[in-house]
Amino acid sequence: MIKEAAIREPLILGNKTYHDITEDVCRPIESKAPRAWYVLITITGIISLWGIGCILYLLGTGIGVWGLNKTVNWAWDITNFVWWVGIGHAGTLISAVLLLFRQRWRMAINRSAEAMTIFAVIMAATFPGIHMGRIWVSYWVMPIPNQFGSLWVNFNSPLLWDVFAISTYFSVSLVFWYIGLIPDFATIRDRMTKPLQKKIYSILSFGWTGNAKAWNRFEIVSLVLAGLATPLVFSVHSIVSTDFATSVIPGWHTTIFPPYFVSGAVFSGFAMVLTLLLVMRKVMHLENYVTVKHVEYMNIVIIVTGSIVGVAYLTELFVSWYSGVEYESYAFINRFSGPYAWAYWSMMTCNVISPQLFWIKKLRTNLTFTFIMSIVVNIGMWFERFVIIVTSLHRDYVPSSWTMFYPTFVDIGIFIGTIGIFFTLFLLFARFFPVLALNEVKSILKISGEAYKKSDNHHH
Amino acid sequence: MNNNKTYWKGIEELEQSPSFLAKRENEFPEEIAIDEFLGDNKLKETSTARRDFLKFMGFSLAAATLAACESPVVNSIPYIQKPDDVDPGVANWYASTYYDGYDYASILVKTREGRPIFIKGNKKFGINKGAGTARITASVLPLYDTARLSGPTIDGNYSDWATVDAQITKTLENIAKTGGKTVLLTNTIISPSTLSVIDTFKNKVYPEGSEANFEHVTYDALSYSAIRQANKDSFDLAVIPDYDFSKAKVIVSISADFLTNWLLHTEYIGQYLQNRKPENEWMSRHFQYESILSVTGANADVRVAIKPSEEVLVAAAIYQHISGNKIANVPQHLLELTADAAKELKNAGNASLVVAGSNNVVLQTIVNAINDKLGNYTTTINLNNPVSLFQGNDKEVAELMDEIRAGKIKALIMYGVNPVYTLPNGKEFAELLSKIELTVSFNGYADETASKCKYVCPDHHYLEAWNDFQVKKNHYALAQPAIRPLYETRAAQESLMVWCGEAQRGDKDNDTYYNIIKANWALYGFPQQTAYTTVEEYWNYMVHNGSGSTELTPPSAVPFMADLSVLGQKITSSDGPESWEVVLYTNAAMGIGNQANNPWLQELPDPITKVTWDNYITMSPADMKELGFNTHIGQEEPASVASIKVGETEMKLPVYPQPGQARKTVGIALGYGRGENGENIGKSAFQYGQYGEPLMQDGKPVSVGKNAFIFTSFVNGYISYSNVVSSINDANENYLLACTQTHHTIMGRNSVVRETTFSFYKTAPKEAYNEPHELHYYGEHKPVEEIDLWKSHPVEEVGHRWGMSVDLNTCIGCGNCLVACQAENNVPVVGKDEIRRSRDMHWLRIDRYYSSDMNKEKAKQEHIGAISMYAQMEIPSENPEVVFMPMMCQHCNHAPCETVCPVAATTHSNEGLNMMAYNRCIGTRYCANNCPYKVRRFNWFNYTAYKKFTAFNPSQDDMMRMVLNPDVTVRTRGVMEKCTMCVQRIQAGKLEAKKAGKKVKDGDIVTACADSCPTDAITFGDWNDENSQIRKNSESKRAYQALEEVGVKPNIWYLLKVRNVEKEMVQKHHEPHTEEKHNEHA
Repeated sequence: MIKEAAIREPLILGNKTYHDITEDVCRPIESKAPRAWYVLITITGIISLWGIGCILYLLGTGIGVWGLNKTVNWAWDITNFVWWVGIGHAGTLISAVLLLFRQRWRMAINRSAEAMTIFAVIMAATFPGIHMGRIWVSYWVMPIPNQFGSLWVNFNSPLLWDVFAISTYFSVSLVFWYIGLIPDFATIRDRMTKPLQKKIYSILSFGWTGNAKAWNRFEIVSLVLAGLATPLVFSVHSIVSTDFATSVIPGWHTTIFPPYFVSGAVFSGFAMVLTLLLVMRKVMHLENYVTVKHVEYMNIVIIVTGSIVGVAYLTELFVSWYSGVEYESYAFINRFSGPYAWAYWSMMTCNVISPQLFWIKKLRTNLTFTFIMSIVVNIGMWFERFVIIVTSLHRDYVPSSWTMFYPTFVDIGIFIGTIGIFFTLFLLFARFFPVLALNEVKSILKISGEAYKKSDNHHH
Repeated sequence: MNNNKTYWKGIEELEQSPSFLAKRENEFPEEIAIDEFLGDNKLKETSTARRDFLKFMGFSLAAATLAACESPVVNSIPYIQKPDDVDPGVANWYASTYYDGYDYASILVKTREGRPIFIKGNKKFGINKGAGTARITASVLPLYDTARLSGPTIDGNYSDWATVDAQITKTLENIAKTGGKTVLLTNTIISPSTLSVIDTFKNKVYPEGSEANFEHVTYDALSYSAIRQANKDSFDLAVIPDYDFSKAKVIVSISADFLTNWLLHTEYIGQYLQNRKPENEWMSRHFQYESILSVTGANADVRVAIKPSEEVLVAAAIYQHISGNKIANVPQHLLELTADAAKELKNAGNASLVVAGSNNVVLQTIVNAINDKLGNYTTTINLNNPVSLFQGNDKEVAELMDEIRAGKIKALIMYGVNPVYTLPNGKEFAELLSKIELTVSFNGYADETASKCKYVCPDHHYLEAWNDFQVKKNHYALAQPAIRPLYETRAAQESLMVWCGEAQRGDKDNDTYYNIIKANWALYGFPQQTAYTTVEEYWNYMVHNGSGSTELTPPSAVPFMADLSVLGQKITSSDGPESWEVVLYTNAAMGIGNQANNPWLQELPDPITKVTWDNYITMSPADMKELGFNTHIGQEEPASVASIKVGETEMKLPVYPQPGQARKTVGIALGYGRGENGENIGKSAFQYGQYGEPLMQDGKPVSVGKNAFIFTSFVNGYISYSNVVSSINDANENYLLACTQTHHTIMGRNSVVRETTFSFYKTAPKEAYNEPHELHYYGEHKPVEEIDLWKSHPVEEVGHRWGMSVDLNTCIGCGNCLVACQAENNVPVVGKDEIRRSRDMHWLRIDRYYSSDMNKEKAKQEHIGAISMYAQMEIPSENPEVVFMPMMCQHCNHAPCETVCPVAATTHSNEGLNMMAYNRCIGTRYCANNCPYKVRRFNWFNYTAYKKFTAFNPSQDDMMRMVLNPDVTVRTRGVMEKCTMCVQRIQAGKLEAKKAGKKVKDGDIVTACADSCPTDAITFGDWNDENSQIRKNSESKRAYQALEEVGVKPNIWYLLKVRNVEKEMVQKHHEPHTEEKHNEHA
């Protein structure tokens, strides 16, 4: 009787060999794109163009084409900004934090999660840019030497911290992502038969040779970058939250914001990763790599972060009552009973109540349900930012200035447009880039032992 | 004779010195090293290589391209010969007078480089003592209106003066010869010289039988002819007496809006406010009985909502209380509602005043009787110094219509009137005009009436013309031109003189009328005074001062002789509580609609409703609910449209929920709906769509609002401004109104608005009604101002610290400051669509709050939860108390806007000002979000170029742009702006002081708002100057800072409102202070 130690369930199913992995990942790049891809990219491309058109109209005419007013000076612009930044959190969390914690299941999803991060941050960075009254002088937020004499940026302003936080986060994420791509580009280069593509992938792979030294440096750089990226996961959204927390506006002025925003970001980021992966694994036949196990793990993260967010909501309510500050308590009474109560309760339903369904194992391993939930969570998180920004602003201190906010077609057009651009970029990524980290995935393939055992069993 | 003198060039030539002789032949005294220069071999080495050539060419090309990108060069042409009195950059001020048949004020006109740009009341001279209204302050803008006629027209086509004069003179001659009747129809002319011109004209054209052939009919769009008639019936004096509100301890007003509209309101406002200062020993008590909520009613201590038909019964009830004589059957509830007022009146005796607004002889006679019983004709009312305003005679106007119908009138000359627009049967009047052989209008626009006349002979704008006025028996004033006429216009007086052959036609600088005025003043004015010895000196001082008074005849009792018992029989009881009545009123912005083309006024939020760019039906919210109308108006929450019928006349207007409106009454503002037939009266009189496109209906542009004059009617020969409504129906339409304020109550926020009552203020300690905020600080209580997270800006006791105080008690909400601020600071006009989107650009706004039946104390007593309490607090009381709160940048010393700007575009000056560097602003709008007072304004569009604003923003019109203040930048798109405390005035004031080598004196520097405030509610000054008024105000018992607990340390203090109401009235409304205790833990 063979007594064998309990073995972890394999992370890659389907009796794959190393070669199978290479084939599976490279197939979409080397073969013709399926018809669905062309259909999808046409749709997202049209949406993107509409969004870009709206942006150009905004830049040509003025911020007034949005629905903002004297009281609500930020609405969908900053809501979208925070929402996208939040989504951009999952990638780095998966690749950096989980790398440091040696969570090997991350390897199947980190590549696409990182790509998603990059694209989401690009979308996020669009909004602070275009929401400026005079985007043509936006470079003034950089502390660069200038001809204005001693004119310098205001280091007190959280918006300036944002500039640093977002640009750092973007650069580090981009470098981290790209370093990981280099060996995989080299694999594609080596397999590529078409000369032009071979040339392109050869440039992209930076002359990777695959010798031991290169691999050694690769590992070291990955670790170092992971170490650098990890604090950024927490710093970016903390700093974004200070855009609100350092103000004097009831509903914004709270110290709970940094952790609350970070967990909210992870929450929404994982939801977006799920949305993308669930489609991708189906379309690109990656079911053996992105397994139900992965989905379940991510759903657990969603339960945890969703609950943290829920606790934060309740804490806010409690503090607003306990503080005894008239404006603070009114701000929260207004949130849940005022004219924007529908947004508050949408947020509560989507973010706090619905993720709790994942306590049921049957639901958290059900892919269709997970897909629906991932979208519900992202709707909820969009509402969270909307609720924080608009319901705090629209009724603050002086009742004479209380207003409502109504979005215009430009508000809606630009938001939908960024979703279009995001998916267009992701589709391009899926078509031309290795969507799984080839080199990393191969390291978790338990090929020899499993194969032996299987062949052994076969003989008995 | 030959000139043999020799001139030598120097002493050397005279002496013929050898060195001179040697050098004489050489043109250049020193050797030029030409050979050396040409022989320099190094030059040959500096050849330009091909590469260098390409470099230079590339550079030149790039440089030329870049240079071409520069903004276009704007040439300015300097004076070749500078006029003596015009210094570029230095303003000239001229004293003048504003009178348009409705408002009257002595004013100062500010001109820059010869252009009038700002108007304010003359504080030193004139009966209004510096008070003005928004209409007067804004009146500089239409001067530059391109819709004004630029010359005389015949049948709507431009002609020249010679042709027009020849034709009119000839026609007049023919009419005079054939014995046809000529009528001169004018508004009330209070100009003695104009009257003398009219006299000359009459005697010249109609030397004999002039009474039959010539008639001068006076017609006021808003008529008070019943007051004159009532005084004739009561005292045999057909006058409007001189009222003195300053002597009245108790004031009862029956629908008289004497603070912004009634009679000589620019004078009354100052008199009234004298006794509204709680620091004084006593405060007047003001009772207001009215149907709509007027500005005056909003400022009253006790306001009672009544129907228009009850006005006369209220007067009868007061009379009954005071005299004990019953003159009519007054319903019991009105006797109860007037008991308090009557008691107070009786106690005050002749230190009281009762006034009534309606054009109703019975009502006005009873009011006279009350005043007579109280003895007010020896104190507060002076029959011996009559006011010459509003001499319109409604009966004559009605008769004129009959005469025209009968074809008796051959010539009609109209001056200052627009009867087609203002008469109840204006449409018929327009048709009748075609029956008249000669119709002439002096109006400056081809307006409703002028466009129907054969000849339009446009008069000057008042800022271009000389005129004189006698507003009261003892007061005279002059108007002088502040600019040469912009167009080929001509003074109406001169036209009359030319037509009667007394003057030659001159160019637009003709001084015919000037000479008449001067001669009249020399003849009549000069002998009446002793201060000046020569006529020239007298005249110069009169022009300089703008006005002067002669001896006042003190009031004396005149026996009251009207028979009240006869009057009593005339009082017909109202049509019962079930009938609807309409009240037609004039609001602060439009008045009678003379300036409907003025975008500043159209955009001025109504002091009460805060609606702009429209008129509407005001109705009690309770009535609206019964009728199923929408009671909440917002950006996307439209008003319901009602179809209202008076007699056979029907009109559709949106319905606005107005707390305080008497039940079963509706109010509609007059002065709107100008140019309903597309007359060219100025672009701002019409409506525009979302992208600036003119709204059209049936091929005609859509006017702003609707003309409510059609609902007026002649009742017993008097024009009545209230009427019985035949029906009100839901038109099943919606209409979006543009309001600057959509939330109407203060939500119990005691630290924003504070108020108390007079008796409480006088007896209780400051802490009881003006409790300072304290915070828990390491176990002890400390005032907010002592706790500081930050390093303070060193503004206290160092140099200047500019500050402002706003007295909520004397602010009546009229909106004059707002227009003054707009004019001074080039604040853009953004139009209805943008206002509706809450993007008003006003740097200064006036928040208007209604009291609510719910308050925190009541909620506590009745165990009402917070959610329900706040929901109920949003609903104003049925007859609310009103408070006006001017709100502008508070110039916080710990400004939250300053810390959050990423590029430090908004910073603090060392004089305590919160400054905005427009050029540095990148437009993140974080500062506006973080402003607790929400006073920052963002340039959402390029207001000076974007098509949406072309029709009404003055900076988009080449003529109107002349009104812009050259001291203030016109802001570009995408930057933030806000109140600067008129920093340009501060700088100018400091420079003046520096030039004079003196310190800045308190009062030397005044902001536009403080300058224009008719009640001196706004005080500006240097807080570091210990003797300044602002310092004193900031230390007043009433002083508080709005939202003090936020800790932003504003430089603006508010003085809390004090109502002169009794304790028991107080408890009903007074905001309790208990929530403060809870706030301490904040």
